[in-house]
Amino acid sequence: MRILIVEDDLEAAEAMARGLTEAGHDCVRGADGEEGLAAAREGQFDVMVVDRMMPKMNGVQLVEALRREGDRTPVLFLSALGEVSDRVDGLQAGGDDYLVKPYAFPELIARIEALARRRDTGSVQTLLKVGDLEMDLIARTVHRAGQEIDLQPREFQLLEFMMRHAGQSVTRTMLLEKVWHYHFDPQTNVIDVHISRLRSKIDKGFDRAMLQTVRGAGYRLDA
Amino acid sequence: MKLPRIFRTTPFRLTLLFLALFASAASAFLAYIYVATAGEATRRTEREIRREMRSMVDVYDRAGLDAVNQSLIERAASEKPFLYLLLTKDGRRISGTIEESPVDDFTGAPAWATFQVTDIDAQGHAIKHPARGLQERLHNGEILFVGADAGEDEAYVGKIVRALQAAGLLVVVLGLAGGVLVSRNVSRTMVDLINVVERVRNGETGVRAHVRGARDEFDELAQGVNEMLDRLERSMAGHKHAGDAIAHDLRSPLTRLRARLEAAYIDVEAGKGNPEEALAQALEDTDGVLKTFGAVLSIARLQAAGQAPDPVLFDPADLAADMSELYEPFCEEKDIEFSSELTKGLSVRGNREFLAQAVANILDNAVKYTPAGGAIMLRVRRRSSGEVEFSVTDTGPGVPDEDRERVIQRFVRLENSRNEPGAGLGLSLVAAVAEAHGGRLELSEGPGKVGDMGPGLRVAFILPRA
Repeated sequence: MRILIVEDDLEAAEAMARGLTEAGHDCVRGADGEEGLAAAREGQFDVMVVDRMMPKMNGVQLVEALRREGDRTPVLFLSALGEVSDRVDGLQAGGDDYLVKPYAFPELIARIEALARRRDTGSVQTLLKVGDLEMDLIARTVHRAGQEIDLQPREFQLLEFMMRHAGQSVTRTMLLEKVWHYHFDPQTNVIDVHISRLRSKIDKGFDRAMLQTVRGAGYRLDA
Repeated sequence: MKLPRIFRTTPFRLTLLFLALFASAASAFLAYIYVATAGEATRRTEREIRREMRSMVDVYDRAGLDAVNQSLIERAASEKPFLYLLLTKDGRRISGTIEESPVDDFTGAPAWATFQVTDIDAQGHAIKHPARGLQERLHNGEILFVGADAGEDEAYVGKIVRALQAAGLLVVVLGLAGGVLVSRNVSRTMVDLINVVERVRNGETGVRAHVRGARDEFDELAQGVNEMLDRLERSMAGHKHAGDAIAHDLRSPLTRLRARLEAAYIDVEAGKGNPEEALAQALEDTDGVLKTFGAVLSIARLQAAGQAPDPVLFDPADLAADMSELYEPFCEEKDIEFSSELTKGLSVRGNREFLAQAVANILDNAVKYTPAGGAIMLRVRRRSSGEVEFSVTDTGPGVPDEDRERVIQRFVRLENSRNEPGAGLGLSLVAAVAEAHGGRLELSEGPGKVGDMGPGLRVAFILPRA
């Protein structure tokens, strides 16, 4: 996918672009807010990664300007700030997600891919399908290969998120944020236990495991 | 020339200003008294002279010049005589008690004069008295002068003037003395405060102002200064500690990371071994470093801000229920019995994220130190003081009484837990969150020793009532 990186720290932007290119994405870079705005107006992007603090025009102003013009491209804010109020400010300005520096690269890529995916699913789905796994969002039921799987409400939400982002890595922090709605890093890997419970329910008795652990990143649900 | 300190103080200057104002008011008042009394004495004398003159003119009109002459002689012998002088039409002396008229250039119209008379006292000394007199022309052209000794009036006025001078002097002296006294008092207190500020500026950050207990504005100022210094000291200690802490806590994982990468590099160079394993481990180490870094930043920011951002009002039981739900499977995995007792319907004001993280960190800590077969309990309740308390009780080894304060300090980990993984930041972040919410952290003993378990630890996170 095409990604616009608006970041005034050239070294950080370079590293980010290299990593994203290696992951198979197309990157365009803007070194400050004005450059970023011009690039965003010119080209079509799947996701924009925007640093909050930049010379000339800061990230929030840039995104506000784009949103006023009707540009709905998903935006991931990067910030060295990271207080909760900064996150709220960023999201209010029209950002779609928020990542605090310093971040781990897998976290960045997972969030970028999640944002791009969210854009695809514009229409309201009532049935999610990944491989032989099916989730009925209205009846709140899950089947694998026709066999019903009994899930707790939180396990259901967890699986729903994994299914919506099937094939992508999702990090533990993302799961805590999107499934539990808390924005902090748990010290221990409490999320792992929830995943392993879910895994034992959806993968047990099947010869192929769908819920994979991605080393250094998090988890991925494969079809 | 430099004035002594007392004269340069603000209270003394204010005193001088007030003294000047007061002195002008007093002078105006004293001047009025002088005019009123001294003027009155002169007017009374003049009234008496005029009456005497009327009486003499009366005698003249009724009985003629000789009768006046006769009356003049009689009256001059009275107890307190007036001064008389009777002159002919052309100014020659006919009779009288003074030699010549003090009135020069007499036109014929009644004329007043101020003059001096000389008296001989008992010792034979000549004493000059001030006197006042009126001169009029009689019907047939003779001239009559009637005067009176004003010496007594003068003495009376003199007394008043002296009294007023004394009063003025007293005002100034008392005012100055009062000013010095007040200034001394005020300035002694101020000098104390200034000394404290000076010493703190020179690096003695532990010095505090003396609060006298008078509950006045100086005490308030001293108290304010002390609180400010306490806070600054804490904040400075926090920052200093943050630096030490970052260095301390990042050094070992970074060293480990470097060693791992170096080993992998050597292996790859030698064409043996699988570098993937080492790289994956290195990535995990890096994540650990980032996590620690994040926690250190959070603590530093909370302490720098002094208060939690974006506070909202919410039910603490809801938050605790979320955390229970998050940690229960984790405990089960470690064969720890997890239970919760959550009082619903309470409310706290605070930052949900930070408070959730605080509860999560306490639970993390409990899970880390509680052995398999143990138990952990999360409670939310209202204290009798009205405060809201989250508490986590575990059946781990607990923390000795003397170490509890130290545990809360950032990065301090007890000796016997060195081999446990973890950033050692958990409870310090919790303490920072508590402080930022105006709350506190209390550590006490858990349920006690049961077999080889316990005595356990009870961590209470206490928030003020919303």
